[in-house]
Amino acid sequence: MYWVSVVTEAGIFAILALGLDVIWGWAGDFDLAFYGYLALGSYLTFVLTIGKPTPPVEYILGYHLPVVLAIALAMVAVVGLAAVIGAIALRNLREIYFAVTTLGAVSALYLLVENYTPLFDGYNGVYGLINPGQTALNLTYNGYRIFFLGVVLVLLLAAYLIVQRLSRSPFGRMLRSVREDERAAAAYGRQVFSAKYRAYLFGAALAGLTGGLFAIFISAFNPSAWTPQELLVIYAAILVGGRGNPRGVILGVFVVYIGFIELTRYLPSPASRPDFGPAMRQILIGLMIILMLRFRPEGLFRERPGLDRSPIVNGAPIPASQRPAAPPGLRSDEGATREGGASEGGMGRWAGGRRRAGKTERAGKRE
Amino acid sequence: MSVLLEIESLTKSFGGVHAVRNCTFSVPEGQVTGLIGPNGAGKSTVVDLASGFGRPDSGSVRFAGEPIIGKRPDVISRLGLIRTFQTPREWRQLTVMDNVLLARRRFAQESLWRSITRARRIRREEEADRAAVRDILERFQLAGLKNELAVRLSGGQKRLLEFARIAAAEARLIILDEPMGGVNPVLGARIGEAVREFAAEGRTVVVVEHNLPFIEKTCHQVVVMDLGEVIATGPFSGLRDNPRVVDAYLGMDQSHE
Repeated sequence: MYWVSVVTEAGIFAILALGLDVIWGWAGDFDLAFYGYLALGSYLTFVLTIGKPTPPVEYILGYHLPVVLAIALAMVAVVGLAAVIGAIALRNLREIYFAVTTLGAVSALYLLVENYTPLFDGYNGVYGLINPGQTALNLTYNGYRIFFLGVVLVLLLAAYLIVQRLSRSPFGRMLRSVREDERAAAAYGRQVFSAKYRAYLFGAALAGLTGGLFAIFISAFNPSAWTPQELLVIYAAILVGGRGNPRGVILGVFVVYIGFIELTRYLPSPASRPDFGPAMRQILIGLMIILMLRFRPEGLFRERPGLDRSPIVNGAPIPASQRPAAPPGLRSDEGATREGGASEGGMGRWAGGRRRAGKTERAGKRE
Repeated sequence: MSVLLEIESLTKSFGGVHAVRNCTFSVPEGQVTGLIGPNGAGKSTVVDLASGFGRPDSGSVRFAGEPIIGKRPDVISRLGLIRTFQTPREWRQLTVMDNVLLARRRFAQESLWRSITRARRIRREEEADRAAVRDILERFQLAGLKNELAVRLSGGQKRLLEFARIAAAEARLIILDEPMGGVNPVLGARIGEAVREFAAEGRTVVVVEHNLPFIEKTCHQVVVMDLGEVIATGPFSGLRDNPRVVDAYLGMDQSHE
């Protein structure tokens, strides 16, 4: 059952990472408010399903809605919150200014939740959503956990299919052009703010869904359940898997969660230093981020550009002698990656091989 | 002959520097207008102000009769005015094909919702654009590089990519900011040819450039700027006799050009 729980958690966070990758990977916005969207989704799922509070516990709403409806409403509310934060932060702020603004916004909201107990009972948080639907489905406790894992995996697959479709669509292409060069995107008619905003709301909706699933998964939620540190683990997972590549992002979450968070539980902690293991885990994650950035910044699976499958007519590759390139001094080597094989000379072969995507060795490596 | 772009009394200061002062000129439709002048004359600022990348302190810009001051760059672009920048601004981590496909500007296909629900239909609609883009890439010797990331192109190829995007955009007015900056003579000739091709297709072109033989060969009229002001307007042949132009820009000896 332990591994059912680990895989369920990784599956839930994979959905979250897919959403975050749309915002950070495609639109290029390093959003630090994102963990707040998960938190709000979780809180609302609780207060919409667990009924009236019994004093001294306090929280708002307190309905007995079916959990699916509750999660749907939570997603709507999360998108609403993202609409407000995004409208302020995405308008003119970019990069570190955007990140700090979103962090500030969500920190303020966290302070509110922690200190204003009538909202979600402050530091105590809310709890009591235990295996919703277990009796109706006539399942044992363990049976339910396996069933829930199935639900999470189905939702992950659905989220993956939608995100993957979006990734290859004109919307995904347009969003990446905004990330690569905003001014050029605007010069070709793109509404930069609107593009980023739509991506932001889409990502937030997935965070709301994740919050609902997380509520069912852990049955309790309080302000320390989900903090910026957890969000940075998700960022690390995206980085490891491959920013901008949905398949890579999912792989990254499983690698980071199972490889680092779970396996490091077996690290021995001396009795006198019980916090050695958890501390070591943080260090290892930091080390992994540094090593990835140094040796494979594009991640395990690099962002996969949409390739044009029709054969190249004029018998590329173009011989260097005829290439209309500037003299060597003007050649731009910036951004040259270590994947040297795909430099200009090899392009024809690459493009040719790609017609049967996934069949060639090169294609396999890139996906 | 109608006027497509009308710039009137445009003024812009950055701090104490008057980048553009009371600048007035107009661009006739279907012609190539050269905008020349020494560095710091305010040429690029005028381009920025006309394309929405900056707001003038005063003055007006009309595009096809419509005032466009205060409009965002994307709005102006959608009206049919496409501009380039001094350095090529390719979308680096996108392929050459995607760069040019984006310049086709099929905004209706870029809806988030339709991208999810109508993916197959959009892909079908896109085929015609892909075919057109392949032809354009052929024209600019980029066909063999279509699946290459733009960041891996050489400086010269990036210039060609910029032109391929312009060709794909089918704009009414094209403003080119130093298209020959830093390119070799062979490529320069190809770029000059491309500008004349645009003109032959009936597009209106404004080109900021220091390459005077190209200006002489290509432009129907030339606007000369110095210290933020327009100091002369007219066909290139008339400028050599204009003492202000010679003093400010052409200099005494232009035989080396």
